[in-house]
Formats: sequence, structure tokens, C-alpha cells
Amino acid sequence: MLSLLGSAGMLVALIGAGLLVTRGITTARTDRPTNLRGAAQVLSAGAVAAMVALVAALLTDDFSLVYTANHHSSLTPFPFDVATAWAALEGSIVLWALVLAGYTWFVFRRYRRSPDRLGAAALAVMGGVAIFFFGLMVTVANPFETCVQAIEAGCAQSSPWPFAAVDAPANGPGPNPLLQNHFMMAVHPPVLYLGYVGMTVPFAYAIGALSLGVAGPEWLRRSHRSTLVAWSFLTLGILLGGWWAYEVLSWGGYWAWDPVENASLMPWLVATAFLHSGIVQQRRGMLQAWNFVLVISTFSLTILGTFLTRSGTINSVHSFTQSAIGPALLGFLVLTLVGSFLLFSTRADLVSSSPRLESYASREGTFLINNLLLSVYAFIVLIGTTYPLILEAFTRTQVGVGEPFFNRLAVPLSFLLLLVMGFGPVTPWRISEPGLIWRRTRNPAVIGLAAGLLTALAVTRNGWVVLSITLGVFVVSTLVALVFEQVRRRIAKTGETLPDAVRRVVTGDGAFWGGQLSHAGVVLIAIGISFAANVGAHDQAQMAPGDSKTFEGYTITYESPFQRTPPGRTIVGARLTVTRGGQFVGTVEPSWNFFGEQSGVGTPDVLHSPGGDLYLTLEDLPGSSGEVSVLFDTSPMIWILWFGGLVTVAGGLLAMRARRRERVTTDDRPTVDV
Amino acid sequence: MSERFRNTLTVSLIVVMAAVLVTLVVTSPMREDRVQSIGDRIKCPVCQGESIANSPSQMARDMMALVEERVADGQSDEAIIDELLFSYSGAVLLDPPARGPTLILWIAPLGGLVIGVGVILWWRRHPPGLGSPEDPAPQRSRARKLAPLLALAGAFAVIVVVAGFFLQDREGPATGVANLAGEDLDDVSNETMEAVIAANSDHPQVDGMRLALAERYYEAGDFRSAFPHYLAVAGSSNAAETEAVTALIRLGWMAWEGNGEVATALNLFDEALAIDAESDTARYLKAQVLWCGAEQRDEAEGLLEDVLADPELADESRDLIQADLDAIRSGGSCA
Repeated sequence: MLSLLGSAGMLVALIGAGLLVTRGITTARTDRPTNLRGAAQVLSAGAVAAMVALVAALLTDDFSLVYTANHHSSLTPFPFDVATAWAALEGSIVLWALVLAGYTWFVFRRYRRSPDRLGAAALAVMGGVAIFFFGLMVTVANPFETCVQAIEAGCAQSSPWPFAAVDAPANGPGPNPLLQNHFMMAVHPPVLYLGYVGMTVPFAYAIGALSLGVAGPEWLRRSHRSTLVAWSFLTLGILLGGWWAYEVLSWGGYWAWDPVENASLMPWLVATAFLHSGIVQQRRGMLQAWNFVLVISTFSLTILGTFLTRSGTINSVHSFTQSAIGPALLGFLVLTLVGSFLLFSTRADLVSSSPRLESYASREGTFLINNLLLSVYAFIVLIGTTYPLILEAFTRTQVGVGEPFFNRLAVPLSFLLLLVMGFGPVTPWRISEPGLIWRRTRNPAVIGLAAGLLTALAVTRNGWVVLSITLGVFVVSTLVALVFEQVRRRIAKTGETLPDAVRRVVTGDGAFWGGQLSHAGVVLIAIGISFAANVGAHDQAQMAPGDSKTFEGYTITYESPFQRTPPGRTIVGARLTVTRGGQFVGTVEPSWNFFGEQSGVGTPDVLHSPGGDLYLTLEDLPGSSGEVSVLFDTSPMIWILWFGGLVTVAGGLLAMRARRRERVTTDDRPTVDV
Repeated sequence: MSERFRNTLTVSLIVVMAAVLVTLVVTSPMREDRVQSIGDRIKCPVCQGESIANSPSQMARDMMALVEERVADGQSDEAIIDELLFSYSGAVLLDPPARGPTLILWIAPLGGLVIGVGVILWWRRHPPGLGSPEDPAPQRSRARKLAPLLALAGAFAVIVVVAGFFLQDREGPATGVANLAGEDLDDVSNETMEAVIAANSDHPQVDGMRLALAERYYEAGDFRSAFPHYLAVAGSSNAAETEAVTALIRLGWMAWEGNGEVATALNLFDEALAIDAESDTARYLKAQVLWCGAEQRDEAEGLLEDVLADPELADESRDLIQADLDAIRSGGSCA
């Protein structure tokens, strides 16, 4: 029954996507209105039905579906049973397609307000991408196949025909234990997908504009909001992923330059470059060609990321051919790249005129440097992630590319970006005015250095920490100085009160100040990372119940081992109490979690505090007399990292909410204001 | 305060503060954790993409213990890393060296940066559509004609690379042992061998491949994966005698080394010796287990003497066994 609903849903959505393409192309070519609304509705309804069927099957323990039979267990508690809908390959494609349908509806609403050829063309491109993903679902990644030959806790053979004679297993193995360990796993993938898939919207407008031969920044203006939404979600998704890794994966790490993580970082870097270079085109009409390149790259990188994470290629290059999903995604990636760039190359006339860059020391110049650094950054991550795979595929030589490689190249680049971030926002458009830049940065430079000195004298003399504090405080001070410069000017002109003036200034150009808020967030992230990576203590101890250990000012006493059996799992761990200066701080319970028959997962426990987290992990299970090997770590100031991430996201949302001020793109007056 | 005076003051303040800051940082007592930094650079052989410093697996912890020991001995980073890479197959350097096939990883980002700077410089002088004085019109249109060609070439390059990726003589799920008959097994991945073995589990020639795969797992320390294959070879009626002996010896050693099961290990060695009573390895390992696990020194001594009597024994093995023999005779404990 649910198999029928799901299968029908995905077929209906496929039809809707097809209608969207044909009708969109008709309207885009002839400017004749077609029923695009109907097509978008069919697509959305089908996508929703597919997701509803999948979630319903999981909630009702319907093991007749091969997806539930292989990835779900009746013991899996809420919300992990719902999250199982995107825990495995086929389900994740359903989620992807649903989000894509959502964004398509977003694009349609914009089209409804001002129907024109560009909007119709963008809808056709969205439909084309939807055809691919629903096509995947119908053919090689069908989650609605029914199980026709059950085995114990799983399915041996399945049929795509919803009316096939069902042989359902009594129960399934449940999802991957790591994914059931933290509620974040229910949240992180949808958020990340909202980011990934959202990058389809600017891509669709770009391809639409190229196909129609519409020059100018109109496609940027149309997709600006979606790009910001997608970028904010992508930022949040990466942040949540890091937090999940920190809370669940033990060892206190939040980022390991793992290919799966890199897959989400690459589109983020290029999308960030795109957000900046888009401003240059909207404001000055420059970088038209470059923006097309960036938006095509961003979309392609989201597909590359999906290919890397979903084809199994990362675990072993040789698993590539074991499922058709890898070749299908790689084929789509190649099609996107070749098709887009061919189209782009035939439209060179569109991007043939742009004003000249007058000075490198102008705002445009700083944006260029920003784009150069971000592109090289993305390139480093790309080559570090894919080169080992390519090398192994061609020569069967195994090389490792890990943290040391990425850190060596990415850390200096990150600090350069931070430095540019300090100068960019205070640099005027078009002209070079060294005097003005100096006046706006001299005090912040002194403040930044003072903060660095204070850190070196009072906290730590670790070079990375000191450098990140110095640069970070410098960047934030330039922003604060900029606000006050404008506020002062405003008060002199209007005589408003200080809070009123601040509010007016910030809401007056929300897009700009939203961006600056994101900059402040990135500064906090940088500071958080340099603390976490460089300042921290680590220790290990073999403890028996009753033993105490002093570590970084804490006294940690091992009370007893414990075992609990909440539904669907068994938790075996150790209970320890933490005191500091005789004061009780908290109880920590690092543990091992067992899900059914699957092997155990070590789960750390973290004692959060503003000064730094105390992070405890069990190396192994408590022995017969309760003795256990405990790992102690501190993560000083790690909360700055999470807080900075949230601030970055908030900046993106603020910029999105800001009323867009239509600007004349070729402004002949030299503009000194910001 | 005049603007000029203020500027001079600020500049000197910045210079002094920066100098003090740099001095403070540079003179800070370096507390570089060598063990950690070496551990960060080695990939754990049995994990997915984790360094040994970040992996909770037993093997990674053993390797870290070795690093700690070597650092305490005062060995150089390079020597320690070389030792780890040599003695643990599957351990890979996560910090690719700037030579050989990984040189490109270090050059490419630099190349990207140089190209990027070049493009920006070129673009400034030749903005699309606006001719600069030194750039006459005909050349411009040539540049414009060149753009599609360049894009085409780029697209073509992508196709070639991807097609190559596809068309590469890939080890698909080969279905017959015969398919691999002519191939050097060294070139075949574990996954492929598993697939071939699973598809041909009752083929008379599969035992050789099983053994080769099991040996690979064994050398990588992955006893769990090696175990079923050795067991199958040991129990196979088709296996050659040498294959069965090797499998039995490995099973015996894994029983002792992995689980400390003395009796099982001794039984297995006896089975191996029943097939080939002259097997030096079986006799040597049995002696080890007798000595270390069962404290039966006399029997161990007898076995080792037998092994030493074998004229074909290599000199290094002879020294090793002689050392063990001396230790047993002098009542020393097993190493």
C-alpha cells in the first residue's frame, strides 16, 4: 500500500518535472503563457507523497518495503525512525528531491509575481534537474521496491513492482549505530540538503539567462535571496555536522578534513566567493563571466559532493561499479559541466562589455583578492579530496591525503582571508583612497594588536591563537568603527538619538550589515578553531571504582560502572563526578552504545562550561571489577566556534531579509561611501 | 594634535606593539607534542581515513605506543615514520611528500594561485569589450573567438579524464577464477578477491586465492577477516598440502596471539605437523606457544633443537632460534 503510494508519488513527480521542462521551454521561447503552476503543483505533490509514504512506512514498521527491511528496526525510537528516511542512499535521494521540489515552488512563486521568459527558463532548468533526481529514484535508487524474499533482519530480493507478492521480514537491522546516537542526525542532513539543493536556484537562473541570451545582472537579482537562503543553510549544515562529530565521535574533534566533510566545504567556499563577486556585478557590472563560472562550479560541486558521499567511492574506489548510482551521478556531473560550459562559450557576446577596473586598491580589488583566495582554497580541497581517488583508479597507487596536507595549505589561506576581511569593507568603490583606508584601519590595528598582546601576556603565547585574536579583533574593530562613522554622520545630519541612528544605519543597508555580521561570525569561528586546535590538554588513566584523578584543575572521581537499556539499545558506561576546588561541577557518563546485534559505538560525554569543555571518553568497556581506561580532554573556548557559526548564519539571514535596494549598475559618480 | 603627529604616533605604536608581540610568540616555550604530530601524519591501517592519533582502534593505539617509545628513544620523525610504514602494511602517510606521484598536490595549488593572479592582471589590462590603447581591435575579436575554443578544450579535457576513469580496466565483479588466472594477484583488490571467492566457493582452484587474500589480511593485522579464509583452506579437500599447512599454522598463531587459546593453538600446530612433520615454521611457533603459553620448556627446547638441525634454515632464523633456545635453557621468561 505504502509502496504503491510512494511509487505513484515519484512517477507523478517525474511527470510534473517533465511538464515543467516542456512548458517552461515553451514559455521561455515564445513568451506565451503555459500552465507552469500546474506543473509545479504536480511535481511538489508527487515529491511530498513519496516522502510521506517513506516516513509512514518507517513509523508503522512496514517491512514489506525493502528500504525499511534493510535500514529500519521496530526498536528504533523516535526521532531516529523518522531520520532513517534519509539515513541510507535511496531515502536521501527522496529527501533531496523533496527539497528540490520545495525550491522549485519558491522559484515558481517568484515567477507568479512577475511572469517573464527568464523565470520560465529557470523553472525549466529546475524541472530538468528534478527529472534527473526522480529518474534516479525510479530506476537505480528506488526506495519503494517491495521485498519478495525475506531473510532474517533484512531482504534478499526485491521487486520494483508494487503489486508483487510480498515476503516481509519480521524486523530489520536498524540504521547505522553512529546515526542513532544523537538527535542531531535527524536535523543535520535536511539542513545540509536545504543548502546543497538551494544552489540549484542560482544555477537555474544562470542557465536560463544564458539560454535566452539575457545579459546583465537580472539573473543575479532574481536568485539572490535563494542563494542567501541556501548559503545560510549550508553554513548551518556544516556547523551542525561539526557539532555532531564533536558530541558523538569522541576524541573531541569537529573537523577532520574527511572527504565527506570536504564535500560540503567545497560548494560553501565557491558559493561564498559567488556571494561576493555577485555584489561586484550588481554594483559595477563587472565579473559577468566569472559569476557564471562560479555558479556553475557551485552547482557542480554539490553534485560532486553527492557523488563522493553516495557512491561509496570514498571507502573504496573499487566499489564505484557496484551500484549504478555512482556512474549515474558522475554522468550527470559531466553532463552539467560540459553542457553548461558549452552553452556559456556560445554566449561569449553576453559578457563582452564591462567597465574597467580602475584600481586594485578599490572595493572591487578586495573582492577580486577574496575571490582568488576562496577559489584557490576550494581548489586545494578539491584536489586533496579527489586526487587520491583518481590516482588509485588509474594507477592503483594508494596515497593518503589528510589533515597535515590540508592544514598546511588552508591555515595560511584562512589567515590571509581574515586580513582581507579587515580591509575590504572599509575600502571605497572604484577609486583608490589610501588615506581613507588608513584612517579607518589605524585605530582598529592598534586595538587588534593590544588584544593580541593581552592574550600573549595573560592567556597563551601560542602563535596561532595570538594571530587569530589579533586579526579577529582588528576585523571586528573596523566594523564597529564603520558603524560609528556612519552613525556620527547621521546624527550630525538628522539629530537622532544614538540607538535610533544605529538602528537606522544598520537597517538602511541590511544586505551590507548582514554580510558584516557574517564576517564577525567567521572571526569567532577562526578564534574558536585556533583555541581548540592549539590549547588543550589530554590525558589517560586506568581507573577502578572509587579512584580519583586530577586533571586541569578538575578532580574526577569514578563512581561506578552502569548499564541501561532504553528502547532499542543497551548503554554500558562509567559514571564519574567532577569537582573543582571542592565544588561539585557535574556528573559525566561516557559510555558505549549497542544497538541490537550491531557492534558498539563509543560515545563521549561532555561537561560544557564557558571557559572550556571537559571531554571524557571510555577507551573500552568496563572490566569485570569495573576498572576502565578513561581519556580526558579539554576543549577550551570551543563554544566560541559554535556561537560564531550561528552568528555567521544569522548574518546570512539578515542580509536575506534586507530590503533589496535596486541599484544602478553603471554608476558614473565615484562613490566614497560604503 | 595635528593629523601628521597622530599618524606618526600610530605608526610607531603599531610597529612597537607588533615587535613585542612577535617576540613574545617566538620566544614562547615550544610545547610541540611530537608523538601527536607524528600520529597525525599516519593513516590507521584498519580505519577509514582516520589518523592513528585520532583512532580508538587497538592497532592505532599500539602504533601510538610505538611512536611514544621511539620518541622517548630520541629517534627522528622520519625514522619513526619509516618504521611504521614499513612494519604495518596498510599504514599510509597522510602528509603526502612533495615528490613522486604526490608532487602535483603541492604544485597544483601554487599553480592555481599563479594562474589566478595572471588572469586578474590580464583581465585588468584587457577588460572584455573595452579595448585598451595598446590593444587594437582585431586582436580583441580574436581573443573573443578564442574563448569558446578554450571552453571547448576544457570540456574536452573533462570528458577525457572522466572517460578514462570509466574505461580504466576496472576490476569488475569478475565471475570466474579463470578470469584472474593470468593476472598477478598483487594487482587485484581485496574486494575483488572476496567477490571472486564468494562466486566460486567450490571451485577446486579457489584455495590458492583464499590463502593469498587471507595472508594479506593477516599481514595487515586484520585477523577477523583472515580467519574464515584460513579456516576454509584448512578444511578444504582440494587444497594443496602446503596451503593447508600454512592455513593451519596461521590459525594456530592467531588463536594464541589473538585469543590466548593455548590448547587450540597446539592442536592446530599438531594438525599442520601431521601433514608436514618437517615444517620449520610450525615447529618453531609450536615451541613458542609451549614455552610462553604452557610453560613446557623441555618440549619447546626439543622442538627448537629439531628446527636448528634443519640444514636449509636461513642464518637469521638460526640466530633468532638460538637466542630463544638460550633463553629457555637459562630459565628466562618468554619475550
